[in-house]
Amino acid sequence: MKGVRLVAITVLALTAVTILGAHYLAPAGYEQQFRDIPQAAPSVHHLLGTDDLGRDRWARLLYGMRVSLTLAPLAALFTTVLAGLVGGIAGYFGGWTERCCKLLIDLFLSVPWLFLLITVRAVLPLNVSPEASVTVTFALLGLLGWAASARVICAGAKDLMRSEFIWMARASGFSGLKLVRLHLLPNLRGALLAQFWISIPVFIIAEANLGALGLGVAEPLPSLGSLLRELQDAIMLRPEPWRLLPLAVLIVVISSFQVLLNKQEVRS
Amino acid sequence: MESGLLPSVTRWLDRMLRFWSWAVLRVVAVMLMASLAGAMLMRIAPGFSSDDQELNSGLSAQSIQAIRRAHLMDADIPHFYMRYVTSLVRGDLGTSRSLNQPVKELLRERLPVTLINLSFALAAGWLLGLALAIAAQLWDSRELGFLANGLSGTFISTPAAALAMVFLLLRWPPAFAAALLVFPKIYRYTQNLLQQSSDMPHVLTARAKGAGPWRVLAWHVAPVAFPQLIALVGVSISIGIGVLLPIEVVSDVAGVGQLAWHAAQARDLPLLVNLTMVVTFVTVCATLLSDAAQRGFSRSDA
Repeated sequence: MKGVRLVAITVLALTAVTILGAHYLAPAGYEQQFRDIPQAAPSVHHLLGTDDLGRDRWARLLYGMRVSLTLAPLAALFTTVLAGLVGGIAGYFGGWTERCCKLLIDLFLSVPWLFLLITVRAVLPLNVSPEASVTVTFALLGLLGWAASARVICAGAKDLMRSEFIWMARASGFSGLKLVRLHLLPNLRGALLAQFWISIPVFIIAEANLGALGLGVAEPLPSLGSLLRELQDAIMLRPEPWRLLPLAVLIVVISSFQVLLNKQEVRS
Repeated sequence: MESGLLPSVTRWLDRMLRFWSWAVLRVVAVMLMASLAGAMLMRIAPGFSSDDQELNSGLSAQSIQAIRRAHLMDADIPHFYMRYVTSLVRGDLGTSRSLNQPVKELLRERLPVTLINLSFALAAGWLLGLALAIAAQLWDSRELGFLANGLSGTFISTPAAALAMVFLLLRWPPAFAAALLVFPKIYRYTQNLLQQSSDMPHVLTARAKGAGPWRVLAWHVAPVAFPQLIALVGVSISIGIGVLLPIEVVSDVAGVGQLAWHAAQARDLPLLVNLTMVVTFVTVCATLLSDAAQRGFSRSDA
């Protein structure tokens, strides 16, 4: 298992280097069209060939990875903050506040996530720029994905509030923000960090599903999800198997995350 | 013995009554909140106050005024919400704007398709997940563990839409793709549960006394793990519904998922919100039933 973890770390490190150096590794911009060679086969100039509009697939994969793998952690951060707030408030105050927060958590957990996402996405205007669509997509993921994490944080905060050191801190006059800042937050840091890491692959997959259904990031901006739309042309997959590379990259990156997360779960 | 039976039955009835009252209250509260969110979404959606009928040149000015007045009444959110909830309670799920058909009728056509696929996906996902977790527990083989973890790792990392596309290419049944996406959760949870249960002192004692692996699993590990596994049934239904949506869209299966996607594409909010409400209701009830079953098994064990 140690070897598998090493491979996972190497994959993620390589991915990070690749997305950081996308500008230098890509032969062209993600929206630059080579109109004389649409649907070209892989060559020295275009490692993965070109798409229907003559855009370099390798460049789009690099920039797509950059979009998905940079914004998913941001959405995860947002969701962790939300989960920390709702779960922390529920655990700290207890009683009716906890019941109301749990009801809200139950509501979000009861609605199948993808249904909720497409419902909220459908309310938003259609004529948004690619930049706005990418922001909206990941903001929605962050806004709607906090419930499961909040339940964990709530349980953690509740346990802490019952612990002896918190009673002692309270008896010594600590209360409110000071108690939260000095005792609650430092002890919930592990749980919050775990929820942050767990959310990243979940959001990458959710964006991929949305993108593949045409409800994600708008063209011409690429993301791992929007690149999967090329797979819909199923007849072309046998003669052009390199179209499967974005899916392979996605699976390898998420699997690497999962391998490292399993290790973290064992530790906790 | 007889004198002790009546109070214990009364206590059991009292406990059950309290549990089910709270459960029903919770379902009602969740559904009320979901309907409020749904009504708000419909209300704030672009184009809510406009009506295609206003473009009908055959309508008189008075009719158009009447349509506008009706929309003005809906502009008041509490009023709109009350009307929405009342019609929901009456079983009226409204009419789809894009398909011009009652949502109830659309559901009657589509729901059975989704339910059949969901049942197959859940049955196959559970069977595969349980079989692999039990095999890994019984034989403790490195290769088997690697294979099972590799399989679950791969499918947990694959977007449902992408797997459905691959299945479409291979001409394999789409419900099997859903099963493969449900299985990793079942496998991982069951494996962790069996591992935790097999480390318990009474299991170690049974092993030390020479009980074989099958006997240990059947008599000592499974009874501890079973009630917690029941709780996963509700969660797996939610996962199954979630993965079926993109699979139905990609594989062109005429189920609820495809209908929801069509509603999202056509920005048919009444249809989309009502579909989400129905799916939420199914999920909440499934979770509630699995919670109740878990509770029942835990108590009977105790």
